[in-house]
Amino acid sequence: MTQVAAPETVRADFDNVRVELTQGGPMVLERDGEEFWAEFDDPGWEGPTAERPRIRRQVVMVTGSHHQNIYWYATGHDRGLNVLPSVYLLEEQQWVPRSAVVLHSPGQSVAMLNGHWNAICIACHTTLGKTAFDTPYRSEPFEEQTIETTVAEFGIACESCHGPAEAHVTANRNPLRRYRLHLAKGRDREGDPTIMLPPQLDPTRSSQTCGQCHSVWEFYDVDGERHANRAGLPYRPGDELRDTRFIAQPSVDRDSAEMLAFVENDPEFVRGSFWPDGMVRVSGREYNGLIDSPCFRNATASDRTLTCFSCHTMHKPPEDPRTTAEWADTHQVSTDMDGNDACLQCHEPMRAELTAHTQHDTESSGSSCYNCHMPYTSYGLLKTVRSHTISSPTATESTELGRPNACNLCHLDKTLDWTADRLRDWYGTPMPALSDDEQTVAASLLWILKGDAGLRALAAQSMGWAPAQATSGTSWMVPHLGEALGDGYDAVRFIAARSLRSVPGYAGLDYDFVAPEQERVEAAVRVLREWRASPAAHLRREPELLVDANGELRVDAMRRLFEQRDRRPLFLRE
Amino acid sequence: MMTRTSGPAVNYTRRHLRFGWWSLLSFLILGFVLELLHGFKAGLYLDVSNETRRLMWTLAHAHGALLGLVHILYALCLRLFPGLAAGALGPISVSLVGASIVLPGGFFLGGLSFYDGDPGLGILAVPVGATLLVIAVFLIARASGSLDGAPRESGQRPGGRKPRQRN
Repeated sequence: MTQVAAPETVRADFDNVRVELTQGGPMVLERDGEEFWAEFDDPGWEGPTAERPRIRRQVVMVTGSHHQNIYWYATGHDRGLNVLPSVYLLEEQQWVPRSAVVLHSPGQSVAMLNGHWNAICIACHTTLGKTAFDTPYRSEPFEEQTIETTVAEFGIACESCHGPAEAHVTANRNPLRRYRLHLAKGRDREGDPTIMLPPQLDPTRSSQTCGQCHSVWEFYDVDGERHANRAGLPYRPGDELRDTRFIAQPSVDRDSAEMLAFVENDPEFVRGSFWPDGMVRVSGREYNGLIDSPCFRNATASDRTLTCFSCHTMHKPPEDPRTTAEWADTHQVSTDMDGNDACLQCHEPMRAELTAHTQHDTESSGSSCYNCHMPYTSYGLLKTVRSHTISSPTATESTELGRPNACNLCHLDKTLDWTADRLRDWYGTPMPALSDDEQTVAASLLWILKGDAGLRALAAQSMGWAPAQATSGTSWMVPHLGEALGDGYDAVRFIAARSLRSVPGYAGLDYDFVAPEQERVEAAVRVLREWRASPAAHLRREPELLVDANGELRVDAMRRLFEQRDRRPLFLRE
Repeated sequence: MMTRTSGPAVNYTRRHLRFGWWSLLSFLILGFVLELLHGFKAGLYLDVSNETRRLMWTLAHAHGALLGLVHILYALCLRLFPGLAAGALGPISVSLVGASIVLPGGFFLGGLSFYDGDPGLGILAVPVGATLLVIAVFLIARASGSLDGAPRESGQRPGGRKPRQRN
């Protein structure tokens, strides 16, 4: 959500607050009546770091209202905006550097460029935003460009999804017309012809309404970008989305001319958003997941085709007993669609065969369609998000693609061999070739010790996931989450600390993921030392958990796996 | 032997006093219930999607309570100005009572079930109630033109008539 900075939208305290942990010198926040001001080192400065000037600017806009408040200030040049160098985490009530909330390599800087919001963020954080740079963004020094950015409305308003509504508004000033439509609604599902109703479009166009923002996309060429710069994005709900923009779908277009061109300019274009097989791995891009799902791709009847609206609703029905906040916090899932009923809409026969199919008790989290077919393999906003590519778990996806499989995201204490064995017995899934470690070490430990930063984040988050904790126990996780407190990636440390606090006995963990490195390492060592001294350390003496028969941690094995870690820099483009 | 005032004006005074106070009580209780819905953050009343209901029920409470006061005021006027509305007492009373039921009732029903931003069909009762109210106020306003301006003296019976005695 994008909102004007005002007392009711700014959630952080600006009343003479000094934020030490930020990029450069401390950020000093002040409030002057209804206005919010900040003094900080200019994040948009592109000259020598030592000469980075100190600036004082008014905060004029806020994005984010569920997890983080990100504050945007007026640069003072035309309508150019830039972001404050620190972000406010709402639940933790903590200011952290902007770079700490993005999963990126420690050595890589996160873009905080003047005009970034005007040129990039505006596309999906406003309704009919027009960038209006006189020359292409960053083709000239920012101060020399003319920026006349305008928006119809901040945030995603009615016309983002329903298209231009002038005729609709004019026609419906007539109350007789409105009531005729209300009374006809039960009989006539066509509704009001003066407005686009996305759920009533065919499945492809319907989901593209959401996909206009929830996808990995790019302009086809500079002309497309310049047109959008002048007139706003040309897509209107009901249009074919791909007519005006390139939707990246590496599962099918990895070798297309467009994709090759993007990768040539930006080698991490695919890796930053997708798993090696093309499944999307970042949140906020669920349309990419949908179009790779068999429930969408292979569907032949429109009323049995998976769309965004199969499970989600953008307007909470009055009869829905949830509060608006609850509905919003559960990703605007439709009434009763937060469980198996979502899938049983089409797979009704499965209702009577649930346990035969899942091999788990009816009430078990293993009998949740979501948990097996939409596991938490996407990352974003310092948490994990369910994959929106409907798939079935395999051990192969973990061995060959490095993606966690649904079984081991819950059975964290089991090996890939265990999973492959079960899947072969239950579903006839071919047994993959497995390395010694894959046969003898719990999958979650391979992921958190050897995996890339994205995989480590997913594994750490799963260790804090209540169903996984209930299935796998928690005592054995502590040294590994403790080790992750010293991870080089801020996001991994944050998630590891949150998961560790959910383990019994660690709710009061004293740890700050953005504290100086020495403090973090000391905290990690303290966690390990205390765990070793506690009875919990001896509860699980299982070699796959890297604990020997004497209850001692197999540090040598941990170190060996750590040495094999995928250290390629990773920036997940959520 | 017992005496009591009677005649049309007296009956109407009583009628509107009684109706006014009971109406006021009813709609104050509705207001109290609405406050409880606020207090307990009831979604059926406070959710954004129920904004129409909140508006309709607030209007029902406000109109019902105010019209209750109008009844009491009208009754007092009849007491003070016995000649007020002579000859139109019946139509005024029917219109005023009708308006007091139909107008807030329409708002209440309009909020009971509704269509997105539009109230339910109960709202159709509101213009009927508003028309009745306009008629009542018009008749009172017209009747007030025939008054001589002098309020009834203390002890004088409404309508200037002596009380009838009844064994």
